[in-house]
Amino acid sequence: MKKKLPDELELARDLLDKQVVDRDETKMGRVDGLVLELREGKPPRVDHLEMGSAVLARCIHPRVESWVDALRRRIGVQKTGRYRVPWAAVQEIVPYQVKLDVKAAETPAFAWEHWLRDHVIAHIPRGLKGKAN
Amino acid sequence: MSMKKAATLALGILTSVGGFFDVGAIATSAQAGAIFRYQLLWALALGTILVVFLVEMSGRFAAVTRQALPDAIRQQFGFTSWLVPFVVLTLIHFLTLGAEIGGICFALHLLTGLPVSLWALPVAALVWLFLWRSTFSAIENSTSLLGLITLAFVVAAWRYHPPMGQVLAGMLPTLPHHEPARYGYIAVGLLGAIISPYLFYFYSSGAVEDEWDESYVAVNRGVAVIGMGFGSIISVAAIVVAAMVLAPRGIQVDDYHQAALMLTQVFPFWGFALFAVSMGIACVGAAVELSLAMAYTSAQTFGWNWGENLDPREDARFCLTYTGAILAAALLILFGVDPLKLTLFSMAINALVLPFVALPFLLLMNDRKLLGKHANGWISNAITILTLVVAIVLAVVSIPLMFLGG
Repeated sequence: MKKKLPDELELARDLLDKQVVDRDETKMGRVDGLVLELREGKPPRVDHLEMGSAVLARCIHPRVESWVDALRRRIGVQKTGRYRVPWAAVQEIVPYQVKLDVKAAETPAFAWEHWLRDHVIAHIPRGLKGKAN
Repeated sequence: MSMKKAATLALGILTSVGGFFDVGAIATSAQAGAIFRYQLLWALALGTILVVFLVEMSGRFAAVTRQALPDAIRQQFGFTSWLVPFVVLTLIHFLTLGAEIGGICFALHLLTGLPVSLWALPVAALVWLFLWRSTFSAIENSTSLLGLITLAFVVAAWRYHPPMGQVLAGMLPTLPHHEPARYGYIAVGLLGAIISPYLFYFYSSGAVEDEWDESYVAVNRGVAVIGMGFGSIISVAAIVVAAMVLAPRGIQVDDYHQAALMLTQVFPFWGFALFAVSMGIACVGAAVELSLAMAYTSAQTFGWNWGENLDPREDARFCLTYTGAILAAALLILFGVDPLKLTLFSMAINALVLPFVALPFLLLMNDRKLLGKHANGWISNAITILTLVVAIVLAVVSIPLMFLGG
């Protein structure tokens, strides 16, 4: 599939904190962090995007990050608090979202979503809306 | 205009019934009219002008950028700047949701005589079931239709033949003849009850739910004026009725029982029930709006999948946010927190964060990279700056006035 990326990108303005969607336009999180690769004699390059609770916690304070990690290990729903998306998976960047060439349901970004769906939502009688499946 | 666009008025009326004429507006309008008659109508008029413009901006932003406000705020200002306002707003929304659920319970208490706290869990279950089972358009249409019953206040105000000269004179601010601290406190309360942050987050998310695009910019303007005008007229009527009925009897509205007497003169037999049903429905609208606003704000802040039209299996975190919020807020009422005190308290702390709600409007609405030719003109900017000034004044005076005048 052909990628739709702008020629020039201001990382903090055009990428960081943006809504992330998967290839079916399912909202799957936000760009919580950016990791650059420093290369000798060449300009740095965006290596991957980061998403997840631990990344947000680090924005607040490294100590909060370690609390969040400890809590996550104890609860054990997520295998990781940091979902790393290689730059190669970025398919499209538009003003209001970043589209990835992945399926949200198969990524760590949906660990909690699935756990809650299977352990809580599944036990509540269904509503009228949505597709019957 | 297509039918689909005409139907967007429902979003305006729902936003207005829930966000404008809610439990806080009922309490403060009744107090304002009972103690100062028509003298505080200017606060309502000022609040209406500000809210019409802010709602118009929220809708225009969503139509042009396809983003609701919390979504855009996180993206433009970053997670760390948004974190503290987000946490504080969530807390305020939670307390206000408790007040609205308390308002519904109180309305049922008026109708049945059963204790307020007894109604907390059944009311929470009903509000939740409504959100769980209905699509966004079903919620919009049914709530805005039921909300029309609050026009009973307008009918009552009309029948009382209020002195129009005094009503119009009240539209301009004047110094109080007595109890200046109380006057200030109620003025702040009226403005705080009208300029509710959740109204803008809800309305812009609703515009995204209804899939607005740039062609809705003009419709949005009409919806903002008519929708908020609707809430404003009801609130003006409530002040007028309170001034005609409660003030001559020296009733000061220390609890909702006294407010309930407002409609009994015009509608001797039905007045009490009509007040209860109007209050109940206005509070249902507000409870729906608040619980969705909380879910929208959290989902957009963290990027979760969201939408009232999705099956709950597709947006588990979104649905469980409003589920948890409704349940926890109902517990406040179940454990006997007084709905009127909760209302007044949440309005006072609401005033504290208003500057943080108003500032993003000024910055976002002037961003031509986002809005292009739909960015703010000078009138909208003048009103936004006025809002910011009013918000800062409210934030500074709300706590001292709570002690002096509350």
